[in-house]
Amino acid sequence: MATITPEISTPTLAEPGPEKAPAKRPYPGALIVVEGTDGSGKSTQLYLLKRWLEIGGYRIHFTEWNSSPLVKSATRRGKQRRLLTAVTFSLLHAADFADRCERQILPLLHGGYLVLADRYIYTAFARDAARGCSPKWLRNLYSFAPIPDITFYFRAPLDVAVNRIVAGRPKLKYYEAGMDLGLSLDRAESFRIFQERILSNYDQMVETDHFVLMDGTVRVNRLQKQMRQIVAERVALTQFAPKNKKKENDEKE
Amino acid sequence: MTKKNKNAQGNGSNGRPSEGQRKGTNGRGEPASRFYGIPLPGVNLEELGGSLIVLEGSDGSGRSTQVALLTEWLEGEGFAVQTMGLRRSFLVGEDIDGLLEENAVTRMTLALMYGTDFYDQLERRILPALRSGLVVLADRYIFTLIARAAVRGIGRDYLHGIYEMALRPDLTFWLNVRPEIAFDREFKKAHSISYWESGRDMSLSNDLFQSFIRYQSLIKREFEYLSNRHGFVEVDGEGSVSEVNRMLRKRIAAQLGIRNTHYHPSHALSQLWR
Repeated sequence: MATITPEISTPTLAEPGPEKAPAKRPYPGALIVVEGTDGSGKSTQLYLLKRWLEIGGYRIHFTEWNSSPLVKSATRRGKQRRLLTAVTFSLLHAADFADRCERQILPLLHGGYLVLADRYIYTAFARDAARGCSPKWLRNLYSFAPIPDITFYFRAPLDVAVNRIVAGRPKLKYYEAGMDLGLSLDRAESFRIFQERILSNYDQMVETDHFVLMDGTVRVNRLQKQMRQIVAERVALTQFAPKNKKKENDEKE
Repeated sequence: MTKKNKNAQGNGSNGRPSEGQRKGTNGRGEPASRFYGIPLPGVNLEELGGSLIVLEGSDGSGRSTQVALLTEWLEGEGFAVQTMGLRRSFLVGEDIDGLLEENAVTRMTLALMYGTDFYDQLERRILPALRSGLVVLADRYIFTLIARAAVRGIGRDYLHGIYEMALRPDLTFWLNVRPEIAFDREFKKAHSISYWESGRDMSLSNDLFQSFIRYQSLIKREFEYLSNRHGFVEVDGEGSVSEVNRMLRKRIAAQLGIRNTHYHPSHALSQLWR
């Protein structure tokens, strides 16, 4: 008969709920996510976390938003020719995420990997809602995604974040700047208004989605120290450690 | 006027109007009922005129033939027609063709690419057509997309959620044929049965005939559920092209207020007429 696997039919996964005991995951792996506006420092911090774990020999995999090879050409063309509306922009990114989720993230979690994700479904919630998609529709759209073990939210004041981006880039891209929303004819100004909306949507998810708030203005190495501490506290790292390390740890105990 | 909405072909409803019919899929209802749930961002319902008429049915049910004939008939009656169908969006139509050829794509990705394809056509083709008062003939609609994903284990509520910004059709016909008949027709057409038509990604059987029949039977069961939920007009798709066409014309004529339901295909389309 039909190969019916139930995990997608359970719509509870990505819904914010009342504080519960840490959910039992149906897989041995773990998922750590960074979120935040452009220029919040999240990618730098996740890179440093990844280096720490790589150097230690842990079983990890790093995945990036908007990077599925199957969907890439469609997304690129849609953006270049400015064909995307709020809804098709959102669906195309969801298809991209679904491809990474089904072919990378879920198999790796089931195979016992520690998965590090630079941006996750909350990026879509914050950004696509800022474009006018209904939050309820978006929550349903991504309800197949596994819930992260830790979601770090890097928050930098709007001016700090916007200046970091505007200073570093010769030209903001059309969709990146939210030009499709008709907020302003000036790209930098449009970007600023768009980022402001996204920031406010992120802030609203801090409680509902149990974000770990990180101050993006703190010095890089100090912030990284905090991040590593939190990871060590909340994820059973020995589980992902190389065999000899596992032994060492077991002996210590 | 037709006496009954349903040219019932057995299964399911016993003549009582379904949920969808009672809620007014009869088109002349208030504009608020034109979307299933929330409207698309930036769409003003009051601007929308025209009619949306959907033909659903499995591979080999004769849908595309009927769409071609109905288009000619309606144009002859002075109605401008816009058509839509799967994988015809400018945005991702060809990308999906590519994904289907590779067989590397997984079910959620494919479901969401079809969703993108659908909404791109809705926003760029159907809504502008309805704003101009055209008749939109859809060769398949969200129901095929929901059925195909549902038989692959994706939740029905999830799928209805994705398509809640779709327009509710004024009429949805279901050309119902038995899987065995569909097999005969498809085989005659292409002299082989395709990977996706036989649901080979679902590992139902190594025997392609068995695989096709089982897959199409699962789809048919989903359609029975959808028909009850959305009030399809069920048509016996095993009748001759001209018989089926006559039934469709009768029902559409009532919907659009066309008096004359007589039609004979032009020379260009006469080879379709059996």
